[in-house]
Amino acid sequence: MDFTLKARGVIDGIAEGEALVCPESIQGWAGVSDTTGKIIERGHSQEGQCIDGRILVLPCSKGSNGWSCHFHSAMRAGFKPAGWLFTKIDSRAGVAAVIIGVPAIADFEEADPCEVIKTGDWLKIDGATGIVEVTRKNG
Amino acid sequence: MVKLTDYEQRMLNGEFGEFKQIALQRIYDYAKVLGAEELCEVKKATLYLGAHPYLETAGSDDYDTIFSKMYLCSDKTIPLGEMADCCCCQTCVAPCDQYQWEPLHLSKEFFDRNRKYLELTRDAGVSITGSCTPYLVGWIPLKGEHFVTTESSNGLMCNSVFGACGNSDGIEAAAWSAICGRTPKWGLHVPENRYGTVIFNIECPAETAVDWDVIGYTIGLKLPPHGVPVLQGNFPYPDIVRLKQFFAALATTSGAEMCHIVGFTPEAPDLKTALGGKEPKAVITITGEDYRQSFDMLCDKSEKPINIVTLGCPHYTLEEIRKAALYIKGKTFAPGIDFAIWTDYATREMANQNGYLEIVEKAGGQILTSGCPLVIGPKCFEHAVGFASDGAKQAHYIRSELPAGTPVYYGDMFKCIDAAVRGSWKEV
Repeated sequence: MDFTLKARGVIDGIAEGEALVCPESIQGWAGVSDTTGKIIERGHSQEGQCIDGRILVLPCSKGSNGWSCHFHSAMRAGFKPAGWLFTKIDSRAGVAAVIIGVPAIADFEEADPCEVIKTGDWLKIDGATGIVEVTRKNG
Repeated sequence: MVKLTDYEQRMLNGEFGEFKQIALQRIYDYAKVLGAEELCEVKKATLYLGAHPYLETAGSDDYDTIFSKMYLCSDKTIPLGEMADCCCCQTCVAPCDQYQWEPLHLSKEFFDRNRKYLELTRDAGVSITGSCTPYLVGWIPLKGEHFVTTESSNGLMCNSVFGACGNSDGIEAAAWSAICGRTPKWGLHVPENRYGTVIFNIECPAETAVDWDVIGYTIGLKLPPHGVPVLQGNFPYPDIVRLKQFFAALATTSGAEMCHIVGFTPEAPDLKTALGGKEPKAVITITGEDYRQSFDMLCDKSEKPINIVTLGCPHYTLEEIRKAALYIKGKTFAPGIDFAIWTDYATREMANQNGYLEIVEKAGGQILTSGCPLVIGPKCFEHAVGFASDGAKQAHYIRSELPAGTPVYYGDMFKCIDAAVRGSWKEV
């Protein structure tokens, strides 16, 4: 483990997985495919990546009040993140966190996880304590 | 810790039935996630109901099962109950026209299923409206009134222009709120969170509906996460048509839920008041060059054949339909073009009474209701060779839905109508 971050635990539980960092967030409509769990937002930095089993690292939600329902639909089809980190919670992200139910941490004040965590880093997150353990992909 | 009133506690204990109990349980969980300390009473709701394509992953045709899984988020099937007495509920957009299925390349079976679902929720207390601009048909939460909505641009309009209070929540949470009559008292439901935080100096064209569409798109691209924009500049105040374009585009490229226009919107009589007396977190200028860059993102630089032309994202007002009809009069659309103006069915009937519908139909087009290609899904646009729209929101999202390389064009209604007549897009 290389470093830790601490913020507000939002949904209890422990999750581990590879970070998928989206500093531009993911749009609520035509952002995640309902049937494949892949990011379909045209021109997105992680276009084509599947959210399944990843720890999604997002600054916030964006675009469309349908944000939660497409993550929800993808979960029903068998694809869901292992956990979430939100730099700061917002209403759309809050609804998605409740519905998906996987461990979630939000409201980071000391460092922005979208800046200090890189896609591919291995994360262990504890939604009860709000602690994120980060292991760098490359040493 | 979320503090509940006696009434809310009784609902949570199941005194008013399982349907309301689970809805309030979800709202309670949502409040905890947000860090809210209490709930507030919701007076108005628009809900995303009907046979929407994303519901298919529920793997059932039984509506109680679908509603339980996809709205209540419960694997146990709970029969549909009633919406809260305190809340005026109506439907947002639907995945089919109110009357027709053939022009949308949908089946009668799908039309019937959608209709059946909407009738079931109507009997539960949600009137069928089929509008993404509910303020055009009388659903208007006023100053201080708490609302929920499933249409992001409507949320921006209600918060920013009417002074009502609502967050963007989501499809499921809007349903929970409509059922139990409560939402977390958090975010824009709390006065101190409504102040502007980022100043935007508008130095680009700001005259037409397309200008405001592109300004909204551009501000959304530049807005820092969680920012509340405050617009200022030497521009004429926008009307409701310009504002609906502006808010739809702003809510496409950002998560904005509230926006002030200095000297114009009710919570921004002057810059200092709009900012709540605080320093802005950023000051950003939108230049003509920014405008051009956004426009280029929305409209392909080519002149290729098109076969789908969509006007009315967000839904057209009667006046927009009149303008379009007057321009269409005497013209004929090219063979094989799906030309549609989208609105709600009340406005369509007014267009019918005024003769505008006849003009559009005579040219070979349609005035369709309750949805749009994006909402209806791939069946209505999978045959696209090229797609043109006068809505930035439509032009933006459709790119992710169409096969890569399918041309997408964006321009005002006149340019789109000309393209439909010609069967291809032209820059000038």
